[in-house]
Amino acid sequence: MSVNVWAVIRREYLQRVRSKWFVISTLGGPLLILLLMVVPAYFLVRGGQAEQKLAIVDGSNVLYERIAPYLVNEGLEVEEERWYPDVVTSLRKEATEGDLWGFIVLDELTLDTGEAIVYVTTRPSPIRQLTLQSAITRAVMEYQLERLGVDAEALLSGGDLSLELLSEERTSTEEPQFWVAYLGAFFLYMVILFYADSVMRATLEEKTSRIVEVIISSMEPWHLMLGKILGVGAVGLTQLLVWIVSGFLIVAGGIPLLVSLSPGLIPVETLLPALPGIGMVTLFVCLFIFGFFMYSGLHAAVGAMCNTDQEAQQVRLPMVMLLVIPIAMVSVVIVQPMTAMSTWFSLFPLFSPFLIWARVVSGGIPAWQIGLSFLLMLFTVLAIAWIAGRIYKVGILMAGKRPTLPELWRWVKEA
Amino acid sequence: MIDTRYAIRLSDVTKRFGNHTAVSELNFDVPRGAICGLIGPNGSGKTTCLRMIMGILHPDVGSVSLLGATPDDVRRKRVGYLPEERGVYRKMTCTEFLTFLAEIRGVSRTEGWKRSNDWLERLGLGGWADRRIEALSKGMQQKVQFIGTVIHEPELLILDEPFSGLDPLNQDVLEEIIRDFHSKGTTILLSTHLMDQAERICERVCLISNARKVLDADLKELKAKERTGVVVVRFEGSNQWLEGPEIDCIHESNGELHLILKDGADHQSILKRGLESGVKIYRFDLVEPRLHEIFVRHAGTESVGDAGMPKNVTLELQ
Repeated sequence: MSVNVWAVIRREYLQRVRSKWFVISTLGGPLLILLLMVVPAYFLVRGGQAEQKLAIVDGSNVLYERIAPYLVNEGLEVEEERWYPDVVTSLRKEATEGDLWGFIVLDELTLDTGEAIVYVTTRPSPIRQLTLQSAITRAVMEYQLERLGVDAEALLSGGDLSLELLSEERTSTEEPQFWVAYLGAFFLYMVILFYADSVMRATLEEKTSRIVEVIISSMEPWHLMLGKILGVGAVGLTQLLVWIVSGFLIVAGGIPLLVSLSPGLIPVETLLPALPGIGMVTLFVCLFIFGFFMYSGLHAAVGAMCNTDQEAQQVRLPMVMLLVIPIAMVSVVIVQPMTAMSTWFSLFPLFSPFLIWARVVSGGIPAWQIGLSFLLMLFTVLAIAWIAGRIYKVGILMAGKRPTLPELWRWVKEA
Repeated sequence: MIDTRYAIRLSDVTKRFGNHTAVSELNFDVPRGAICGLIGPNGSGKTTCLRMIMGILHPDVGSVSLLGATPDDVRRKRVGYLPEERGVYRKMTCTEFLTFLAEIRGVSRTEGWKRSNDWLERLGLGGWADRRIEALSKGMQQKVQFIGTVIHEPELLILDEPFSGLDPLNQDVLEEIIRDFHSKGTTILLSTHLMDQAERICERVCLISNARKVLDADLKELKAKERTGVVVVRFEGSNQWLEGPEIDCIHESNGELHLILKDGADHQSILKRGLESGVKIYRFDLVEPRLHEIFVRHAGTESVGDAGMPKNVTLELQ
């Protein structure tokens, strides 16, 4: 690549990366996620401290040893209280006067129905209530199941359902996978369009400020366009990588931390295996790159043929409207990734970045189709580059009226 | 056949935009090392002409050669171009911007950085080197733009209206720098609609009007040849004696009248008519014609349009 293209890439990259919005948006994303995780965790921990000491009056004589470890794990201090006729009265006194937060009374009825009474000095949080309740019911079930001589632990941990797929088709609806596929596709849509739009704005700005004449007199218009696209693309990649790496760190480090603080959040841990691995991240980045090249080429041409921002937005509108189709289809494609419609739409290069992602995550795509879609996208990138380069070359120096379609065609032919 | 004695050669160049002909059958050479003015009123085709020389536009008919090759091959590294409508990257600092311009023309980054700072220092912008261009005044921005044109030390400078927008003081600074480049052997082609300025700086001029070339000659030779054509008069009394077949047109400057004579007309007969009419003549002086007057004579008054010199006012920016 020639020296001047590198100069353009460096300029675009450094100017953008050093700007305030880039720093804010790049660091802001992970910070926001961190905040969303840390704040609830903080309150969980803090809330727990006020509700520390809990006495358990075990009238059943079998539940205390099962419940206690579970509650200790939750950060509670537990002490056993023997049953005697006036126990409630004296504990009530102790709680209101001393440092006892409250006490639970378990009896024979608890063993049958899971019912119990909790006396507390301050109202517990809903999560804590849930913890207490599940601790009791779990203990009861354990006891009852053990009496029947079954493997209570295996049953209570949710059993184990192993999946034997008879066909390649697979539908995922309410699984975490659905959200990874859906949000991933939507995220790709946003980042690709955002950065393609940046290319358009930058082109338009160069054109309206007339700097472009100086630049074009020193280098091929095509090189300028290429440098601009690569520079902006590199900025997008930088941002994506920062997000992916920090997201990974936050989730990988954060969720176990959160769960250790509050074991009641154990279900969150089931999300972890659903998160994309290194292969998926690579695919995501590749889809971004190809999608960005296709759309930024189109946007550069739009920027070059227009004179004002409003004009450019108008010309860009049909393109954005077209993109409504894949976004509307994402959820259908995730649920039924192998239908003919899903296949054809996902192979249409301009839709591939979003729909291929959806199909891969939901597991319904043969490898050859992924390869084919990338090949098709590659051809599209080259075709767009060729056409957009020609429109760019003529348009970038044009002032006045926006070209009509026949005029555009002439530009492409004659450039 | 490409002739290397010329820095620029335009042969039978025509450029149309739709139905509008911007440049018509233009033949025009700039010898190497010359400082040449492309002169004409607004809309006469100057900028189109320069853009074709720079390879930004391509002629519909005819050919352009630049430093003995086609524009596309040489323009990048060996030519410095200052367009009429100049832009900057407002968010870049002066040195970043200038280094960038040097770099896209093949100068290394460190060298570009050094030259940027030297130039900024030389034009009195040393303290602004690390400021964003948007913080600079318009005049300062124009200086930066000019530095951007010469930062890669081109052998040919093409300047489109380089003086427009500059105050007289800075016009002088720029004029000085242009002369300096000229004395170092750089070929310079500048377009202007200010004839006085062209007259001061240029060795050669090419006058164009309505897309066509009117004149293309060495300025000294041209003036010598046209010497018989202009008479300056100052007098008191009726101006009836100035109505005669010898006179093509008249305009006023500093309280004196400049009579532009028709080709081959005899100024003696005018003087005779004046003396006979009884007016008091204080001055009757056959002078070297000014460029404006030569232009008017060759192109006709109507084609001068707004060529920088309203009929009765002459601006001397000294």
